[in-house]
Amino acid sequence: MTDTLAPQEPRAGRRRSRRWLPALIAVGVVVAVVVLVWNLLTGALFFYNADEAVAERSELGDDRFTLQGTPVGCSITSGSQGDEVVTAFTVTFGGVMVDVVHRGEPAELFEGGTPVVLDGSWVEGQPGVTGFEPLADDGWYYSSDRMRVKHDNDYINDDEYDDRLAESETQGDTAAEVCAR
Amino acid sequence: MQEINHTGSRTTRLLGAAVIVGLVALVLLGWFVAPEDDDQQDAVRMIFVHVPSAIWTYIAFVTTAIGSVMWLVRRSVWWDTVAAAAAEIGVLFCGLTLFTGSVWGRPTWNTYWDWGDVRLVTTLILFLMMIGYLSVRSLGGPESATATRAAIVGVMAAAILPIVNRSVEWWENNTLHQKSSLTDGNLEDMTLFTLVVGLIVWGLFFWWAILHRFRIAWLEREIRSSDLDRALVERRAEGEPGASPLEERV
Repeated sequence: MTDTLAPQEPRAGRRRSRRWLPALIAVGVVVAVVVLVWNLLTGALFFYNADEAVAERSELGDDRFTLQGTPVGCSITSGSQGDEVVTAFTVTFGGVMVDVVHRGEPAELFEGGTPVVLDGSWVEGQPGVTGFEPLADDGWYYSSDRMRVKHDNDYINDDEYDDRLAESETQGDTAAEVCAR
Repeated sequence: MQEINHTGSRTTRLLGAAVIVGLVALVLLGWFVAPEDDDQQDAVRMIFVHVPSAIWTYIAFVTTAIGSVMWLVRRSVWWDTVAAAAAEIGVLFCGLTLFTGSVWGRPTWNTYWDWGDVRLVTTLILFLMMIGYLSVRSLGGPESATATRAAIVGVMAAAILPIVNRSVEWWENNTLHQKSSLTDGNLEDMTLFTLVVGLIVWGLFFWWAILHRFRIAWLEREIRSSDLDRALVERRAEGEPGASPLEERV
């Protein structure tokens, strides 16, 4: 190979191709951010509280929507609807109750007094779940197939936790009163 | 002259030792002293990592934003280097925040992730924007132009920090995420104490890491600068009639 003093063109190879990697990542990041912002603007998780869901029942029709409410402890029943094993319960929010039939495994922390966020739709008729006494009993129930627990920011270790929770949460009060009746 | 082949100093060694001691204390407090939650049981212990990571993510990205503004306004290389160092550590903390939140979410919310949750998704957007910041920094080209491009991304990312932080208040009906555990939460005394220890330990780690990362980045700049100076000297030397290798060969 001859020695030369002329400036050399950089060799095409790994070093050059590597410069595309950050550019590719940067473009990917921009695309991802745009997609995520669009996803947020469409309000994928927007949920209706139980009182809002009942008020807007005619507008919602049989559309799928997300519902939030606090389960009434004494209403939680494992039973069957037809051939299917389901969990039926009543949720409450703002003094309004909604009967729920949930298909699939309930969340690990699912219990009375801890708010849940459910995906599903309105169904006209009686839940017809063996052993379940619907507390709302208004001729409608919410059929759900996805459950998430909306945990609050209390981190408590107390033997009388249920009592404290009931004292601290308005919705807990409502649920407790319903069960007392 | 003594050869220095590390970025350590008395301060960083003290900080490093404090981080190790602090981590041991945090593990002991977190696992054995802080009580389990009646509801979440042991999953509650995740907040000792999750909350400090989230708070120091904010601090890291605010530092990046300040450094970026100082570069854009004053062309301060020192601040630009601080911005870059803070961004790298911030990305590490932000990744840890997302990971621990997801692991905690499975037993508590019944899901690892929800694409419609405002807090989760805005945090992911922040994480991706800061990865974008680091990508822009490694694009190459003139250092000044690279720093300017990165600074613009850094400032844009910081602009969404208030949205990330306040999302649980502003979009109550769009988030599973609970409100602030530290300011609005109801925590057992030992849980709160351990959380504060976690914040301090993460803070010490942040300062230890940023000092080292800053020094490495500064030395890299110095090397690039000295390489350029040497190359200029060599090219000038080649221009001298008696120094031409071609003439030497002839």
